[in-house]
Amino acid sequence: MDEKTLDGIIDKYPNSSGRILGILREIQIQERHIPMDTLKLVSGKLQVPLSELFALVTFYSFFSLKPVGEHLITVCMGTPCHVKGAEKILETLEEHLGLSGDTQDGKYLQTTPDNKFTVEIARCFGACSMAPVLHVDGQLHGYVTPERIPEILEMYGWKR
Amino acid sequence: MKIQTPEDLDSVRKKGLKKLQPGRPRIGVGTSSCGIAVGGMALYNRMHEIIQTKNLDISLVKTGCIGFCKEEPIVSVSIPGKAQVLLRKVHLDDAERIISLALQGDVPSDRALCKISNWDHITGNLVYGNEFEIIPEYGEIPFFAYQKKVILRDSGLINPEDIDEYIGIGGYFAGYKALTSMEPDAIIDEMKRSGLRGRGGAGFPAGLKWEITKKAPGDEKFIVCNADEGDPGAYMNRNEMESDPHMLLEGMLIGAFAMGIHEGLIYIRAEYPLAIERLILALDQARTYGLLGQNIFNTGFDFDIRIATGAGAFVCGESTALAASIEGKTGRPRLRPPRLTEKGVFGRPTDLNNVETWCNVPVIIAKGASWYSSIGAKGNTGTKVFSLVGKVDNIGMVEVPLGTSLHSIIYDIGNGGALGKEVKAVQTGGPSGGCIPVRLFDTPVDFESLNQVGTMMGSGGLVVMDEDTNMVDIARYFINFASGESCGKCVPCREGLKHMLLILNRIIAGKGTHEDIDLIKELSETVQKTSLCGLGQTAPNPVLTTMQYFPEEYERLIIQRE
Amino acid sequence: MSLSGYRKRMVTITINKNQYLAEEGEIFLLTAMRLNIDIPHLCYEKALEPYGACRLCMVDVVTCGKTTMTPACTIKVHNGLEILTDTPQIIRHRSLLFELYLAEAPKSEVIREMAAKYGVTKTRFLKKIVHDDPLMGKCILCGLCIRVCNEIMGGKAINYINRGPYTTINTPFYEHNPDCLGCTACANVCPTNAIVFEDSDSNRVMQSWSGTTVPLATCSSCKTAFAPEKLMHKVMNKLDPAIIEEIKSLCPECRRHYSTRKATRKVPKS
Repeated sequence: MDEKTLDGIIDKYPNSSGRILGILREIQIQERHIPMDTLKLVSGKLQVPLSELFALVTFYSFFSLKPVGEHLITVCMGTPCHVKGAEKILETLEEHLGLSGDTQDGKYLQTTPDNKFTVEIARCFGACSMAPVLHVDGQLHGYVTPERIPEILEMYGWKR
Repeated sequence: MKIQTPEDLDSVRKKGLKKLQPGRPRIGVGTSSCGIAVGGMALYNRMHEIIQTKNLDISLVKTGCIGFCKEEPIVSVSIPGKAQVLLRKVHLDDAERIISLALQGDVPSDRALCKISNWDHITGNLVYGNEFEIIPEYGEIPFFAYQKKVILRDSGLINPEDIDEYIGIGGYFAGYKALTSMEPDAIIDEMKRSGLRGRGGAGFPAGLKWEITKKAPGDEKFIVCNADEGDPGAYMNRNEMESDPHMLLEGMLIGAFAMGIHEGLIYIRAEYPLAIERLILALDQARTYGLLGQNIFNTGFDFDIRIATGAGAFVCGESTALAASIEGKTGRPRLRPPRLTEKGVFGRPTDLNNVETWCNVPVIIAKGASWYSSIGAKGNTGTKVFSLVGKVDNIGMVEVPLGTSLHSIIYDIGNGGALGKEVKAVQTGGPSGGCIPVRLFDTPVDFESLNQVGTMMGSGGLVVMDEDTNMVDIARYFINFASGESCGKCVPCREGLKHMLLILNRIIAGKGTHEDIDLIKELSETVQKTSLCGLGQTAPNPVLTTMQYFPEEYERLIIQRE
Repeated sequence: MSLSGYRKRMVTITINKNQYLAEEGEIFLLTAMRLNIDIPHLCYEKALEPYGACRLCMVDVVTCGKTTMTPACTIKVHNGLEILTDTPQIIRHRSLLFELYLAEAPKSEVIREMAAKYGVTKTRFLKKIVHDDPLMGKCILCGLCIRVCNEIMGGKAINYINRGPYTTINTPFYEHNPDCLGCTACANVCPTNAIVFEDSDSNRVMQSWSGTTVPLATCSSCKTAFAPEKLMHKVMNKLDPAIIEEIKSLCPECRRHYSTRKATRKVPKS
């Protein structure tokens, strides 16, 4: 992220309440992750120690240090979705996309080798009436079953 | 134009009423997150296109969620002089049909859910009319009949993106009354007499908290709204903010005046982008009318509200972690004492209340403490909104007086298990609560009764489980959740939950022993008693309740010793 | 005994059914230590605000016949305070906590000895597998190193990373951090001696902190390295009045020699 854009973001948060998280959130949304260089810039501009910023970025689930792939799949693992079989949905996704299911330091964020798909977990979008649900690039798919996974993936350019 | 006098307020009210009942057909499309998820926005856009291109005499608005999420997308049609009709499971292709029928003063009866002849908005009343004999009345639908809408009085009916409609049904009149004709201490007194208890889960008397904050030494204090709503399956607060955001703002305005505080904050989780958007819009509209900012209602009282977003940490729903998060720190809870009311955000005395607690305030001031305390049960006054989800037939937002039984909510309103299955248990209070078996469903939903059976009210999530649900798996699910969301500061929660998960995994894999069961019980007790904050203190509840109420499911998985 | 000079009020408190005089407002954990009453603790440091991470200092506070388990570092002494320190309930929870500690820091002798002192010699929990751990399998995540670095010394070079069971402590991005002062207050305050560093002729290497390397200042007289440069600068800038140039670059030993010599020099004729 260039410095001018960063300055623009920082200027939107003149008040100290909610300032740092607000700024980091905008960086995450724009860059799809938190680049190391940007974080170091933020440290200098806000006069906040880099160690503190790194602690924030690794504590909160919203931030990722690694960029996400072309398509972001978010599987809801909230209680109503779990009760309706969300785990099986996640397993099926992992199978089809060739992912291992390991978490890194507790954050579930896996990208396929060709960088086409990233899978992550969320805890409830509030679309519980359509459980189990998942988002792809912000679009919600409800009443998902393991059988429907291939057809959903194909909508985003996946090939069997 | 700034609203300064009662005449000003009244003129906006009239303006709002004209929008609500414009003398021509009005169509409202449910566009809260759950409505949008099933195509509500596409439907709205299609209707907008049709109405614009053909230049039709129809008023089209976005509305929030009326609560019957299972039937979304829901569209409301108001023909002047006739009852308002709610249409269910509307398809994109129905758009043209609905519009052309509306122009003829009619509705597609095959999509009709129910009709509303008149509606009590508590702060106002709207009369629609009759007609449509074949369509059942709102009150005849079991899902709605057993509910009592106080907090959800406007949801799904008014346009949340237009402050005029909120004022149209009487909104901000309570705020006006409080700031111009009541003493701050009298307001606090009214809150205490109403018996309102915190709706975030702890149930602390709101009036008392306000009084303590007011008395705390210091000039610059904060009032904060906890909109973190981290319990998976609970989305009441999200609905309240998306469907009727001004109810929250008006509540905070009254509270700020009562406590003499000028800075308000809403801490809202990052996963609620639509709620954030609607709140920002509502704040702008309130400021334009001078309902927030300087010299509100010409009383010399200044107050404004800022929004701070979370970043994906369930633990930030805890009060000291929330304060830390606002300050730009990690959400690691702090020792108490000192409590937040003494030393909160940036070290200043802070009053923290849940979204729904704030939403109760305008109606208490408008109708009085006696009216409010006549609803609900003794020591548990008022109503509570619940999200009824899981393996239940009627999924949605449910508002009932406190003291209503679980049975009534799950069977009368929820219509029992989905797909004809037998209901086995209900989980209340999110990850901090427990699983209650069917045989205890006559338990009234109030703070004390739920504590007695081993669970808690929590923020209002009710997850129904049926005969196919594995209760040991549920226990493992919750411990996994709690462990992943633990901040990691204190040993019992960080290490204790980690080992509880390992042991539960072993048990589920069929490799557990009776010693493991005993060890989990020991761990649970120590984690409960020695954890620093509420997350650790309540995390073992799902395990303890499933062990207590469903021991046979654990037995089945244990290695039997010869 | 208080720094502000005025005398604090002495009040009567009861510990394990015995009465004692104690300073009003003092943190009870300190009072107990002073009275030689044993309460285990790991994360409390007098120079810092009570933190509440270790959960070992739990005691029973008796009020109107009811007992409540409370950490001793959060209790302020007041007249009539009644405490029980070794009830069966407390011992039970404390023992289980020690089992958790033994599993978490399997290489720590301090933990092993402390646990044994309270009757816990083995753990039923899976011990952490220690492999390439910069904190030697001894860290209990009490946070003292972080707090001392951030709140007292001001280097702010280390902090928590991740959360929950994945929490660890290190420098940002696990890189050498130029913010580090090399003061080793972190190693000093660590209750389990988990932090490792090594001095060479010209550098101090904080091995636990991703090899953060801090240059050491060398004495202009005896030529040995004696303190981190950055720390020296920080301290020198705080001195008011400043010390004279001649001794700024001397190590403590040579500084002593200088002062002795100076003291015996004649006063120059004006």
